[in-house]
Amino acid sequence: MLKAAVEDHGEVTDEDRKHAAEVSGVPEAAVYGISTFYDDLLVRRGTRHVRVCTGTACFAATGGAHVDAICEGLGLAPGERRADGSVSLAHTVCLGFCHSSPAVRDGDLIDAGPDAPARAITGSCAEAAEPEWVSLLAEPVLTRPGDWSGLRRALTELGPEALLAEVEAATVRGRGGAGFPAGTKWKFTRAAKGDEKFIVANGDEGDPGSYIDKYLMEQNPALVLEGLALAGFAVGAKHGFVLTRSEYPRSKPVLEAAVEQARADGLLGDDILGSGFDFDITIVEGAGSYVVGEETALLACLQGLRGTVSARPPFPAERGVFGCPTVVNNTETLANMPFIALHGAHAYAELSPDSESNGSKLVCFNERFARPTVYEVPFGMSMRALCEEVAGGLRDGRSIKAVQIGGPLGGILPASKLDTAFDFDALAAEGCMVGHGSICAFDDHTDIRALTVHLLEFGADESCGKCFPCRIGLRRAHDMFAVDAPVNRERFEQLLETLELGSLCAHGSGMPAPLRSLLAHFPDEMGLA
Amino acid sequence: MISVTVDGTELQVADGATILTAAKQAGRWVPTLCFDERQAPFGACRVCMVAVEGAPKPLPACTTPCRDGMVISTDDPVSRRVAVAVVELVLSELPAAPAPHTELAQVAGRLAVTGEPRWPGAVHQVKHDFRHPYLAFQHELCISCGRCVRACDEVQGAFALTATGRGFGANVTAGLDSGFEESTCVSCGACADTCPTDAITEITLLDGVERSEANGQRAI
Repeated sequence: MLKAAVEDHGEVTDEDRKHAAEVSGVPEAAVYGISTFYDDLLVRRGTRHVRVCTGTACFAATGGAHVDAICEGLGLAPGERRADGSVSLAHTVCLGFCHSSPAVRDGDLIDAGPDAPARAITGSCAEAAEPEWVSLLAEPVLTRPGDWSGLRRALTELGPEALLAEVEAATVRGRGGAGFPAGTKWKFTRAAKGDEKFIVANGDEGDPGSYIDKYLMEQNPALVLEGLALAGFAVGAKHGFVLTRSEYPRSKPVLEAAVEQARADGLLGDDILGSGFDFDITIVEGAGSYVVGEETALLACLQGLRGTVSARPPFPAERGVFGCPTVVNNTETLANMPFIALHGAHAYAELSPDSESNGSKLVCFNERFARPTVYEVPFGMSMRALCEEVAGGLRDGRSIKAVQIGGPLGGILPASKLDTAFDFDALAAEGCMVGHGSICAFDDHTDIRALTVHLLEFGADESCGKCFPCRIGLRRAHDMFAVDAPVNRERFEQLLETLELGSLCAHGSGMPAPLRSLLAHFPDEMGLA
Repeated sequence: MISVTVDGTELQVADGATILTAAKQAGRWVPTLCFDERQAPFGACRVCMVAVEGAPKPLPACTTPCRDGMVISTDDPVSRRVAVAVVELVLSELPAAPAPHTELAQVAGRLAVTGEPRWPGAVHQVKHDFRHPYLAFQHELCISCGRCVRACDEVQGAFALTATGRGFGANVTAGLDSGFEESTCVSCGACADTCPTDAITEITLLDGVERSEANGQRAI
């Protein structure tokens, strides 16, 4: 409702807030709090609302020059609107066009590439193309168009217990960052007391540099929906939600069309395929907040509240949507389930013969690479093979200085360590993680101090503000590097420890990982004292 | 009942009791800022960190339930280091030291947080709202512990307060940022009672006189 107000007249007014409170039953004060939390509700919009991507791939492409160029060209600072109301400007992280950085959004039109900023200034943006995804597997799993064959088998041959047993045996580690086994979440939710249960697909892929879930939701929506239905069947839920990002304006309509199609085909709704299993799905779009990708914040957002993190326990498996037991799985995690339902845990493990990690993984590369797109790969390949053979190394004769893997909370691997294998355990040993699977290269021209400021600016801007270490600590860490003065290494490391050990969620406790990588591999370039 | 050990003393606690409850029962002090026993635990301030045997890192005492056989150390050096750092960060965001009688000042004193902050920087902007006859708001003293909002929601049921903003810009406000008078506030004072920093205080007649003399905002 508040988003509709912004779309209608450019900003949220007190009249809008009062109206929203009256209609929803949410207290006025709470509505006010919500309206001051989300990016989409904060900036007063002009007739033309330009959003410039400040994600890590766009930083790697220009060092931030594209942001300065747009500010100068429009004569606006981010967050400002022209006095005549014609144009407004905002930051956004991230538009998921990391393959063609820098990216700019004008209204709902997303443009990308070296000339996109100039077009944004003159109001002549053109829709950017998205490269086709590629599977390295003989039989693609995640890039194969979803056909609901897994659900058919689950309903007719397996039953919920056998399906759950297969998913547990397959050890599907979560693909959204934390790597928690999905089968365990399903088991807890199935065992939890409650007549009503829910499945939530986390499509809030806020990790700058990652556009994997975007591809899944927009190019293979049926596979994601089938994964939700399988989760519902296994745990005894009748309803699922997909939370999409407003930074990906195409996701929600594409998923909604796929839901309609599935209903028409008898694959969603009541008594699916005559099995007696009822399951339906609602698509909800967020309003601009990175931390909403954290599961408790996601549930708050889904229920229309401020997207702040809650302490666990209680876990969503006990108390999630509307206080009911809830499975929250990443979009890609759910997209693995149709294969497991169809072929079983053993075949799933076989997909990555050279690794302890099971299944296949989608990875994506940033614009610095010669052939950036989403690739489906087995676990266990070396990072070098992925970067140099699969993605073709860097463009324009540049060389890799370092790569950040798995999003902003992922460690950074220097070029000297590219022989590390791409799987959960090998990356963890180097202070890195599979995370979301994004591989973002920084080339040999990258200024490490500027990169440090970039990472911390994101961290501080996106802190939900609930826990004290993250709320204050990330701002302090950013400010230490943002000024032109040497940074006291000992004090910085003490601050990192406070963030790591004290923070409530993975945002604050994860932000130190890439910074520790930089301290380990590029201390001389950070401007330390 | 389950059995836990707190700082070497074994005791029985109720099923579902948190580590903080167990520590209190054992007579051990654990620093807290966002905790108020009249409210559901919130887990925001992160100063109640304690060590639990077998846990890889400190755990928040207020939101972690006890398990049978748990061995808890409330004065673990790593946990205490985190608590001290967090209190130091909190003090550094205030434009002036909190009044000595406030909970924040007392926790800082007991943890011996003194001297120049290790991580100085921006402080909250001074913003006062003295429009309400009994309740004064000094937004710059707010540390976003959420106690006032929860007191209003959970204890009084007036739903007049909300958290606002995010990140370092987080704060609290009444109604549509319109002050207590324009909100659903019933002047119960539960928010002022629980506030650990005096960001919200009850105005007494004497205060009013002093304040009107100091800045002319409200005359009695």
